[in-house]
Amino acid sequence: MSTEAAAAEGHETPGHDGHGHDDHGHHGPKWLQHHFDTPAQQFETAKLGMWVFLVQEILFFSGLFVAYGVFRNWYPEMFVAASHQLNKEMGATNTVVLLFSSFTAALAVRSSQLGKRAETGRYIVVTILCACMFLVIKYFEYTHKFHAGLLPGDLFHPNAEHLKHGSEPLPENAHIFFSLYFVMTGIHGLHVVIGIGIFIWIYIRNWRGDFSKEYFTPVDLAALYWHLVDLVWIYLFPLMYLI
Amino acid sequence: MSAHESHDDGAVHTHVSSIPFYVAVFAALLTLTGLTVGQSYVDLGRLNLAAVVVIASLKATLVVLFFMHIRHDAKFNGLMVLACIGFIGIFFAYTFNDVGHRGEFDKDENVSINPRSGEIAPGSMKK
Repeated sequence: MSTEAAAAEGHETPGHDGHGHDDHGHHGPKWLQHHFDTPAQQFETAKLGMWVFLVQEILFFSGLFVAYGVFRNWYPEMFVAASHQLNKEMGATNTVVLLFSSFTAALAVRSSQLGKRAETGRYIVVTILCACMFLVIKYFEYTHKFHAGLLPGDLFHPNAEHLKHGSEPLPENAHIFFSLYFVMTGIHGLHVVIGIGIFIWIYIRNWRGDFSKEYFTPVDLAALYWHLVDLVWIYLFPLMYLI
Repeated sequence: MSAHESHDDGAVHTHVSSIPFYVAVFAALLTLTGLTVGQSYVDLGRLNLAAVVVIASLKATLVVLFFMHIRHDAKFNGLMVLACIGFIGIFFAYTFNDVGHRGEFDKDENVSINPRSGEIAPGSMKK
C-alpha cells in the first residue's frame, strides 16, 4: 500500500508526471493505461496475464498428448507402422524452419527492447515468412495424405499405390494414428495461422511507431505466443514422425 | 516484481541478451534436433520413447528459459510453468492408472464386439 501511495504522489514516476511538462495533458505516456501506477506495473501485469494464457494453452494441448499416450500404449506396433507413412524429411525441415522463426522472434523482441524500430520490423517479416513456409510444407504433406487415403476415422482408406514403397502393411486400426495426427497437427497449424495474423498486426503497429524502448509489451507477448507454437511442435515432431 | 526490486523509478527494466547468446541457443536447438533425428535410426527398444521425450524436453527448456525469458523474468511466471508441468504429470498419471487397470474390473473393456449382444461395442474403434 505504501508503495502505491508513494507512486501516486511521486514526481519521479513516469506514469504520473503530468505536472506541466507533459505533451499528452494529464496522464503520462499515452500507452500507460490509467489504472496502472507505473509502466513496470503494467508490463508485469501483461506478462502475468500472457503466462496464464500460455499455461492454459499447454494444458489444453496436454489433453491431446494424453490421448496420444494412451493409444500408443495400447497399439505400439500400429503406431510404428502408421508413423512410417509420414515424411521424416519434411517434418525435420519444418522443425528447423519453426526453430529459426522462434530465433528471429526472440531477436525481434531484443531489437524492440533496444528501441530499434527498423530492425524489429525486419525480424518480424522473417518470422512471418518462416511461418508461411511451415504452412506450405504442411500443405504438401497433407495433400499427400489425402491422396493416399491416410485420413481420420471413417475416411481412412489407404491407397496402396500412394503408400511408401516397401513399407509394412497398415493395420486396420491405423486410422486412430491419423486421427491423432490430423487433430494435433491441425490445431497446431491453426495456431500458426493465428500467429501470422498477430505478427502482421504487430508489424503494422511497429511501423506506425507505437513501440519504444519504454513500451514494447505487444512485441514481447506476440513472441511469447510464437514460442509456444514452437514448443508444441518440439514435442509433436519426434512423437509423430520419429517412432 | 522480483526482477525489478532494485529499480523504483517505475520504468520497465528487462534483461537484454546478446545476439551471440541467442545464436548459441539456436545452435543448441539445431544440434538437439539433429540428435533426435539421428536417434530415430537407432533402435533402443523401450528406451526409444524415453530418448525422444528427454531430448524434446531439453529443447523445450532452452526455449522457455531463454527465448521466453523465464530465466530473467518475475519468479512467479516460472512458478506457473512448473505448476503446469506438475498438472500435466497428474493428468498422465491418473489417466494411465485408470486405463491400465480397467480390465481388472470389466473384462469386456476394450473389446470391439460386445460378447453379450454381438453388436459393435460402444466406444470401440471398430468401423
